[in-house]
Amino acid sequence: MKMTIAKKKKLEGYMFVLPGFLYILIVLGYPLIYNIRLAFRNVNVKTFKSGTDVFVGLQNFTELFQDPTFQLIFKNTLVFTIGCLVFQFTIGFIFAMFFSKKFTLAGPIRGMILVGYMMPMSVTALLGKNMFDVSSGVINDLLMKLHLIQQPVEWLLQGNTAMIAIIAVNCWVGIPFNMLLLTSGLTGISQDVYESAEVDGASSIQKFLHITLPLMKPAIASVLMLGFIYTFKAFDLQFVMTSGGPLNATDVLGTYAYTLSFTQYEFSKGSAAAIVLFCCLFVVGLFYLRMISKEDD
Amino acid sequence: MKKKLSMAMAVAMAMTTFLSAGMCVSAEDTADIGEPNGGVEVEVWHYFEHEAAALNAVCKEYNAMQSDIYVVPTFVSREELMKQYTIGAVSGELPDIGMVDSPDMASYISLGVFEDITSYLEGWEDLDQFYPGPLSSCMDPEGNLYGLPNNSNCLAILCNMELLKAAGFEEPPKTLDEFKAVCEATTDPDNGVYGFAMCAIGNEEGTFQFIPWLYGAGATVASVNSEEGKAAFETLGELISNGWMSKEVVNWGQGDALNAWIAGKAAMLESGTWQVAQLDGDYKDSVTWEYAFVPMPQSANGAQATVIGGENFGVCAGAADVEACVDFLKYMQSAQCNADWCEVAGKLPVRGDAVELKDFWTADERYKVFNDSMEFAVARGPHESWPTISEALYTAEQAVLLGEKDAATAVADAAAVIDPIVAEVPLP
Repeated sequence: MKMTIAKKKKLEGYMFVLPGFLYILIVLGYPLIYNIRLAFRNVNVKTFKSGTDVFVGLQNFTELFQDPTFQLIFKNTLVFTIGCLVFQFTIGFIFAMFFSKKFTLAGPIRGMILVGYMMPMSVTALLGKNMFDVSSGVINDLLMKLHLIQQPVEWLLQGNTAMIAIIAVNCWVGIPFNMLLLTSGLTGISQDVYESAEVDGASSIQKFLHITLPLMKPAIASVLMLGFIYTFKAFDLQFVMTSGGPLNATDVLGTYAYTLSFTQYEFSKGSAAAIVLFCCLFVVGLFYLRMISKEDD
Repeated sequence: MKKKLSMAMAVAMAMTTFLSAGMCVSAEDTADIGEPNGGVEVEVWHYFEHEAAALNAVCKEYNAMQSDIYVVPTFVSREELMKQYTIGAVSGELPDIGMVDSPDMASYISLGVFEDITSYLEGWEDLDQFYPGPLSSCMDPEGNLYGLPNNSNCLAILCNMELLKAAGFEEPPKTLDEFKAVCEATTDPDNGVYGFAMCAIGNEEGTFQFIPWLYGAGATVASVNSEEGKAAFETLGELISNGWMSKEVVNWGQGDALNAWIAGKAAMLESGTWQVAQLDGDYKDSVTWEYAFVPMPQSANGAQATVIGGENFGVCAGAADVEACVDFLKYMQSAQCNADWCEVAGKLPVRGDAVELKDFWTADERYKVFNDSMEFAVARGPHESWPTISEALYTAEQAVLLGEKDAATAVADAAAVIDPIVAEVPLP
């Protein structure tokens, strides 16, 4: 009798899981499996309609990794992601600390900073494109007026400066995102801890290093992981602001996979590029899940 | 703390979802296409903007004159439309009739987006009236037809005559040497004025604007790795290195280049037929100076070229009533309709008898330049791998303009991509 109840309970548990499992299977599983299948075949504009595509094993992946353009794009994706994470996290943390202080207009100003995050990325990208324009952009105008530069910087016309510009624009969106999440973390720390530290004569730096940072560890890890995932799969910013240019200097895995599939009709190669993107994110996602489950334990 | 963090994340995600959803909402289509006539609804996807009213008028007329089908045009942005065709090739979710940029049609035919309508057009005498260039862009390599061309356009040079005259040139340039001389004389760095502006963006628009220079130097897409091909890249590279053209052209679409000219920042512009209508419309008050169109410059070796642009309409695979859709296309592309439509939209007709119906393309000096230029206009493809060929060309062009590669390396790199493709399936 006991076994039956246990079995019933187990079945009940499975039934609760079933809708979510089915949803994942249909919405995520099917496209993923379809994509993996594509990546191991040679589906392109020539073979698509006739159905003459064949299994080619790892050929698409080896061709991709041997392609200097793909190597550049992979490097770009890492540079973009790490560059964005460093700046948006650091500045976001400073802002979160600053706005966690109670002072006049702290709330409204914090709200206004969030506007960057609330804007659709395509709008932000268009703004960025105009702001970093060589001849009529506000950035060059400002730098010239401040006498920081003598000649306009060709922001979106040179690889390195285009990458800096695109990281800057992404940070404009990323900083509020980081600030929002880190502020929640900060408000969760009890003021009693700080007060007792003050009684013990702790300095501001000591409080930050020995109270804020350790207690914020879970929030920081979550923010960095989510930030990595959001940034690594970037697409719309590059697509609208630079189209991946100049000469692939700001192309990232997301835009490259799109170009291969939707512009060149190299569906299998595009899928292979998307799988590379997926694998990178999957590894980070696993770390994130592991971290969350440890926290729950 | 964890609870608050989760809450903040949930709010962040909800905001993202909300904003994304908001972006999908578009204004309701209020096009005047007449009351439903009881016929089967036929969906036509297009990316006409200032020409949309003219297309709606054609649909309205057709909806009123028959009751088999009710034609409903829907605007979809060009980028989105191209994406939908590719997705539709897999999912089967396609409109009944779809518009496509002429060089892209071969790829979509290859992908199975369009229906073979050859049998429905057999015996239709009007077909002989269509110009071979635009019509060929609707065919597969075996000569089967998948749609009909809608309009043509080409490129010429638009000159700000005020700036040219101030620099001592009473007439627009005819040869490449004259063109360079005007570029040099009209460039005024102190006032941010360049001699020339064009679009060299990294997409099909960039290739479209580059083709006249390539063929105008005496090369072809298949012979890009030649002295003539190299000369084409060198000419454009020289415009930048001499300061006669802004390096920003690599980020400019054709609209951006026109804006630079409208703002008085360029004396000359590589301009398209459709921009005449824009000069008469949106920019009427902005252009306060005398201007003139002139054909693309002729090289010292006698070569001169422009490029054929234009859109086609095809019947999509799985269309509810293919015959009815073809009938609509026949009507829309009849001589009178084509002439009326092209006059309103500022385009060139795709059939000879349509041109004869009006003196619009010969009486207006501006359109005459484009109409006459069609004699030396070259088509892009048609080729199923045109997007890859196109990418090789605009990438090479950008590399030269940005000073990343010299012309010899750029043409060699472009040829490394193009040659194997055309060796397998030659360009027409």
